[in-house]
Amino acid sequence: MSSADEASRLVMEDLSRSFGETRALNAATLRVRPSEIHSLVGENGSGKSTLIKILSGVLRPDSGTLVWEGEARHLGSPRSAQGMGIATVFQETLIVPEMTVRDNIYLGTDGLFRYGHRKGDEIAGARQALSDLGMDGLDLDRPMWTLSLAERQLTTVARAIIRPWRLLVLDEATSALDAQQRDCLFDYLRLARSQGRSVLFTSHRMDEVLGLADRITVLRQGATVATMGASEASRRGILGHMSGHEAHADAVVVAETEPRRGAAVQQSPRRPVLRVAELTLRAASKPISVEVKAGEILGLAGLEGQGQVGFVECLCGLRRPVDGQVLALGDNGETHIVRSYRGANRLGIRYVPRDRRYEGLFGPLSVFDNFAITLWGDLNRLGVLKRQQARKSFAGFAESSRLVSASPNRAISILSGGNQQKVLLGRWIAMRPRVLVVNDPLRGVDHNTKEELYGLFRGLATDGVAIIFLSTEIAELLTLTDQIAVFHEGSLVAMLPTEMSSDTDVVAAMFGDDKQHGSADD
Amino acid sequence: MTDQSPIAPADGSEPGPAARQPTRSTSEIVTRFVAANFTDALPYILVPVLFILSVIFIPGYFSKLSIISLLILASLLGLASLGQTVTIIAGGIDLSIPAVIGLSDIILTQLYYKHWSLPVIFLLIAVAAIVIGTISAVSSVLLHVHSLITSFGMSLVVSGVALEWSNGAVNGAVPGWLTSSVSAIGHTGPIPIPAIIFVWAVASVLAVAFLRLTRVGRETYALGANPVAARLARVRSTWTLVVAFAISALCAAMVGVFFAGYSGIPDPTVGVPYFFLTITAVLIGGTSLLGGRGGYQRTVMGALIVAELTTLLVGVGFSASFQELALGILVIALTSTYGRELKVAAKI
Repeated sequence: MSSADEASRLVMEDLSRSFGETRALNAATLRVRPSEIHSLVGENGSGKSTLIKILSGVLRPDSGTLVWEGEARHLGSPRSAQGMGIATVFQETLIVPEMTVRDNIYLGTDGLFRYGHRKGDEIAGARQALSDLGMDGLDLDRPMWTLSLAERQLTTVARAIIRPWRLLVLDEATSALDAQQRDCLFDYLRLARSQGRSVLFTSHRMDEVLGLADRITVLRQGATVATMGASEASRRGILGHMSGHEAHADAVVVAETEPRRGAAVQQSPRRPVLRVAELTLRAASKPISVEVKAGEILGLAGLEGQGQVGFVECLCGLRRPVDGQVLALGDNGETHIVRSYRGANRLGIRYVPRDRRYEGLFGPLSVFDNFAITLWGDLNRLGVLKRQQARKSFAGFAESSRLVSASPNRAISILSGGNQQKVLLGRWIAMRPRVLVVNDPLRGVDHNTKEELYGLFRGLATDGVAIIFLSTEIAELLTLTDQIAVFHEGSLVAMLPTEMSSDTDVVAAMFGDDKQHGSADD
Repeated sequence: MTDQSPIAPADGSEPGPAARQPTRSTSEIVTRFVAANFTDALPYILVPVLFILSVIFIPGYFSKLSIISLLILASLLGLASLGQTVTIIAGGIDLSIPAVIGLSDIILTQLYYKHWSLPVIFLLIAVAAIVIGTISAVSSVLLHVHSLITSFGMSLVVSGVALEWSNGAVNGAVPGWLTSSVSAIGHTGPIPIPAIIFVWAVASVLAVAFLRLTRVGRETYALGANPVAARLARVRSTWTLVVAFAISALCAAMVGVFFAGYSGIPDPTVGVPYFFLTITAVLIGGTSLLGGRGGYQRTVMGALIVAELTTLLVGVGFSASFQELALGILVIALTSTYGRELKVAAKI
């Protein structure tokens, strides 16, 4: 064991964990010292949450070692992690809405037949924890559901800190807090550090990372790419590590072999088909105004929960914005307001949802039935199906999209994810959309099928379909889109022309960094 | 009737994946093929097997009269289970079938006794059925509760009305041709087969065609398979559910009319055994309670199996309680093999 390890409270090495085909963690390493606030940063899907779930005993790693205060350990359950002194606050605010604040704070501490604490001790402990977090006035007997989101989030932090802890893990635990609440929490964390305890936190806010952390570990694609002292780190440096130079090079290679689509659109100016006017997603966020032209591919980017999904839902009428409108523009310049999902569909705005299994697929139905379900509205005579026409339409689509399926009569559940996605896209492509809104369509799709789907999207754009393409993968956006709209805290913070942008630019914007600020830091 | 429905789950009926791998022996391919298709074919095998067992064990069973009696029993159950099949495929379940059977029985026997004209009575029964089905479906959609609950509520309301109406009534009347249509010695025109069997045959063909060849039919499968995806794919969820429950109530009403013909006296509780029997027939046939899987051709087999098994057990001298026990075991045994079939499909 090296001296660096001896100085560490927690050493996790060579951690790997896969979910099916996806490698969420690939030999990641993390060292946390006593009296340290340590920040774990990385893009969506870089493995932060998986690592934290392993650390808190929720998930078991496929391989790797964990040394806690000099002793090799196996974490079997959340309880064993708590027993060791690791307290975790998860990203999702895990509460029981009907129970009181006090019961939520002491959740899980009681035995089956006896209480873990006397009532008086519980009240005193809960008051202390809440007052540490700046919530002195909160009534302990209020049911949880009456609290604001920020109060709920702080209550879950209180639940973690009433237990004797030596390492507190906060996974995006500040996302709902306002500046004052955040400062109060940070003061508490600094105090704990001065008492020799350790904190590990993730955040989507770069200013928090740089302002609070002593050291920073950067994860990319499941692997640790750097650990550095906060004093020697710069925004640009961290962002560069997160986006990765390899990924950047990839994007360039793709761009050379297949010219970006931007050029083609500029040759023939197209009509706008969709206009977003002063759309406000959240009460505090800035209104968004965008215009999308026929044949344009607009990418949407943002860290988890920054409003891009809400934006997509507003576009296709699934959600009402706080303020503002989505307008579909007709061929002759007439405008229609999108008010409902039904209305959006009538105006030719078609939506391919994010979660294939729960929002897209009809699992027990055949490939053909999954494809044709949207066609029957047009292809029927007094309610009786015109199957021949639908079969023809399917055959055409299967060929053009290179769909791999033994037979259209087999259940769709046996197709690969990529081929399922083709069928779900085909469902709406066959309806000749004017605007195709796709929510992270290439998630969990293998490399080759991805390339085929890129081709499919490009072909659609060439035919004049406007595509709104939300993705969590920046390389994907840089390969496919003409422009990238970046969301941060419910506002559209940057509109980046793809040709002139690097993935570092996109990542910087995702963290709410405007360009000037970033270059000043370099 | 074969089961090559376009919605049939992956049944491995094509040797494609196996044939592509030359290392596999012929016997292995055959084994896989049988394993993948056996459970699908099971109801179709059970129908003749049970019939042969009955012929062996019940003396004098192989006669026209007993076969027709069997088919009348199956027709009544088959018709009552028709709508149940549709509601279950749509992801729901209709618990109001016995109540609607009872109400329809009362309306017919009471009003015919009071010399109302038959077309008016039938129209009234049909309207009542459609209203009942629509309320079950629409309230399920509006209140966001499972149709299990709304149809059960409707069932209580409807049977309350039927009981109140028939309170004390012992007098009722039905037309003679109706009685003959459910009698084993009844004729349909010159043909010496009771009309209910033809009605069931025609209804079966229509039901299978409805589910496979119409827009609402396909949307019924989509809704049952995944209601969230159905909404996003612009399936008319409310309309589809209304159609399913209206069909269910209409079928139940039809069975109520036949029951009135059977006994000739008003009986609001005549449908009570159908509370579980319809679900049993649907499940034994192989339509899944999960929704989106199955078809009416399967329920036809399910109704035949239930009728045969009941007849066989009665014929051999088992009690009514033992019949229920046997049906219960059959439901569990068969549905567990259907579950396994899905896992086999997932492996291929």
